[in-house]
Amino acid sequence: MGKRLLQAHSLLVYLFLYAPIAVVVIFAFNGGRQVLNWDGFSTKWFGEALADPTITEPFKNSLLIAFGNAILACILGTALALALARLRPWLRAPIDALVYMTLVTPEIVFGIAALMFFVQLGNWLSLGSILGLWTILLAHVVFNASVVALIVRARFVGMGQSLEEASFDLGAGPLSTFRQVTLPRLAPAILAGGLLAFTFSFDDFITSFFVSGAGTTTLPLRIFSSLRFGISPIVNAAAAMILALTLLSIVAAYLVLRRTAQMRREATVIPGV
Amino acid sequence: MRDNYWEKRYDRKGFVAISAMTAFLAACGGSTTAEEEPAAPATTGGTAKPEVEDTLFYYNWAAYVNDETYKRFEEEFGATVKKDFYASNEDLLAKMQGGARGYDLVVPTGYMIQIMAEEGFLTEIDWSQLPNVQENIDPKFQGLPYDPDDKWSVPKDWGTTGFVYRTDLVKEKPTTWREFFDLAKGPYSGKVTVLDGIPELVGSTLVMLGYSFNSEDEGELEEAKQELLALKPHLLAITSTEYKQMVIDGKAVMALGWNGDGAAVAAEKPAEYIVAEEGGEFWVDAYAIPTGNEHPNAAHAWINFVYDPEINALETSYTYYGSPLKRELLDGVLDDEILSNTDVFPEPDTVANLEPNSVSPEGTELRDRIWTEFKAA
Amino acid sequence: MRRRGAIRAGPRYPGWLALPALGYYGLFFLAPLVLMGAVALSERVGHIDFVYALNFDNFKVLWDPLYGEIFLRTLRLALFGTVAALLVGFPLAYYIARYAKRKTLLLLLVVVPFWTSFLIRTYSWLIILDPDFPALRALKWMGVLADDFSVLYTPTAVYIGVVYTYLPLMVLPIYATLERMDWSLVEAAEDLGDPPLRAFRRITLPLAVPGVLAGSLLVFIPLMGEYLNPVILGGDKTIYAGNLIGLQFGSSRNWPFGATIALVLIALMTLAVLAFIRLARREEQYG
Repeated sequence: MGKRLLQAHSLLVYLFLYAPIAVVVIFAFNGGRQVLNWDGFSTKWFGEALADPTITEPFKNSLLIAFGNAILACILGTALALALARLRPWLRAPIDALVYMTLVTPEIVFGIAALMFFVQLGNWLSLGSILGLWTILLAHVVFNASVVALIVRARFVGMGQSLEEASFDLGAGPLSTFRQVTLPRLAPAILAGGLLAFTFSFDDFITSFFVSGAGTTTLPLRIFSSLRFGISPIVNAAAAMILALTLLSIVAAYLVLRRTAQMRREATVIPGV
Repeated sequence: MRDNYWEKRYDRKGFVAISAMTAFLAACGGSTTAEEEPAAPATTGGTAKPEVEDTLFYYNWAAYVNDETYKRFEEEFGATVKKDFYASNEDLLAKMQGGARGYDLVVPTGYMIQIMAEEGFLTEIDWSQLPNVQENIDPKFQGLPYDPDDKWSVPKDWGTTGFVYRTDLVKEKPTTWREFFDLAKGPYSGKVTVLDGIPELVGSTLVMLGYSFNSEDEGELEEAKQELLALKPHLLAITSTEYKQMVIDGKAVMALGWNGDGAAVAAEKPAEYIVAEEGGEFWVDAYAIPTGNEHPNAAHAWINFVYDPEINALETSYTYYGSPLKRELLDGVLDDEILSNTDVFPEPDTVANLEPNSVSPEGTELRDRIWTEFKAA
Repeated sequence: MRRRGAIRAGPRYPGWLALPALGYYGLFFLAPLVLMGAVALSERVGHIDFVYALNFDNFKVLWDPLYGEIFLRTLRLALFGTVAALLVGFPLAYYIARYAKRKTLLLLLVVVPFWTSFLIRTYSWLIILDPDFPALRALKWMGVLADDFSVLYTPTAVYIGVVYTYLPLMVLPIYATLERMDWSLVEAAEDLGDPPLRAFRRITLPLAVPGVLAGSLLVFIPLMGEYLNPVILGGDKTIYAGNLIGLQFGSSRNWPFGATIALVLIALMTLAVLAFIRLARREEQYG
């Protein structure tokens, strides 16, 4: 009886979670210009969205930023994770605190701080305005390097280090140990971290909103600005395509990660960052 | 006779401005003078016509340019127009303050032209690139007080701030701000929107209370604040961009807004735009070229382009805002119905009762505080 | 002795590997925050400018009832969001952990929305909550909802939005603790005639406490700085601490004041988190 009730509840929760996604997709096929007035099934808005430079341009920007951000975050985060594993506690504790700080600082606070910083930096270096793709990317990496560091470190500590020990004892340097012993075993975790970093960046609105300059529009910024000026079917179509893209990449990542035995652990660790 | 209200509003500053502008042009060494019939674009006194760059980055209010105008401009000059939008003058200023550079053309309201010029955010207009403007502008739009020497800006259009209501959904016939507020708090609670703009909202409320649109008196502002706080719970939305659609859809039945949007609603649904009896805001939005621009010639080309009467008619028939061109030039190219529409071109008597926004930094800070409280309530 | 220490410390990757990340944090995270502190103490001049100073005027915000109300409202939103996510999320996590057959898949289904665009999902609620949305119209026609039912652009919409947004963050840690539970204990208790609710309270709940606390923290912290839900679903009419900060960098153009509120918000959050950690420690000791 309790089980039935729980089952029904769970069903409702899944409905709650997926109804909005379904609605965006369904209404993207609405032929009418008015979003809520169903005017026949049509795929024309997808074509229009793909032909609209004010959507494709920000889309390219978002991809570029998210990709660069993921790579930088993976490098910084992995290096940090490797180092942290051997640091003495008195050194590790403050660094841990710093990493957690980057994760829990409200985005709006970090966004405005980064804005003031970049504006001041531009003035000090006499470069004028430096806001643009680069500042968005640099700002995104702060949060995402920490995400990668946490995931990689959990895996690194969890998998035991006797192989690394052996490698070092046999006289291999850190670099070749990393390449031959650690990297292959850490790859799934780094990949998962990078994927998350990519998603968070691709999806980010608040930080980008504050540190974007004139005309560097990312896709979330574009969608947001269209919200202020009324919902349009083109944006619906763009949104549906983004959803499809994210879902596909998640399924792909899921299939890749399932091959590695740790799938379950990762699935639990990742979103709970 | 028509011209009286301008002089009343702006004293004799227009005169000063014209002579100042002449002097300015002479000083710049251009061989044309303002008195002379400013010739067709091709013969700008021997100087080569500056080459228009391949891009124009236009930062503007949303839905403020006819799509057709973009198309014609791009065809004519082979330049691509890149667009970005803001929702209020304050947002534009905030964006500039935040260090955004690279915009070639912006359209602030008069008072914001003054502020931006003071803050060093604008570059001077090169009048030698604007023969159409020199020829076609109605002189009463020259030397306006926010830019007495016409150094920083060229008027785009002008209008009023009042309210629009659906005559089929609102049976009362409100004509005053007081009625607007009372109806919003009464039978139409939850179906009313107001502009997302500090001067428009605070100023209109001050006017309702019988004070100046620009009052900086703390007591008067406090009264206005109380009125606004009482109104707040009854609002459907605070928006400058969506209310037109909301009133057309009937989600909102009354909205504090601008005349162009009011006229646009009235063109689609039974609705009326009202300039409140107590008064309100009269505004001029003007083209300006911000610092850090990368395509100044394209910006000038745009301004000059839309001062062509035919193009200007395109604009007016899209935005429903008054044109700063000489009226006789619009005769024949602009639809008679629009030209005689008093929502689009308000009567002198109506405008005589209105004030342009003009507030000191201290007054602005008081208003910002009210705005925060209003939003917080 | 030294050898043992080395083993426990892990492999010998050099400590300087931390330096690039630390330098990065220093430049792009700590420096901006320090600068923000300096701006909070500066003085506003004219329409937009400010000069660096030692000016504590902005901190008057602390005893201004207006801003106190905004912080209280933010706290209420964060608490509501946390409790609601717990009430909705716990049974789901419990179901997956105890009864469900395809646990990984069901869990993934919880995570997937969290990974898809936040903005798009929120935006979708604009459509769903629109009074003209077909489902709402149907409910009105059936008389389930009043004819003038409309929550779009109200705090109610914001509340729905935040529960929706943060639910996955609550479910996952709870599931992680419940998954490790030995259900035979519960079954044994139930078999011995313990009413299910009592078995739940005596056995399941104490074991789930760490997960519940972790989930609550994950939901509560971002909610204190919530920005987008009030803007989109609340129609930007009712503002919370995050929006108050945003406003100072938008139409109000008062950077010093905005920086001050940001500092106050961080201080409040730190207090809340410290209180939480104390609570968690106590639970670990006695729970």
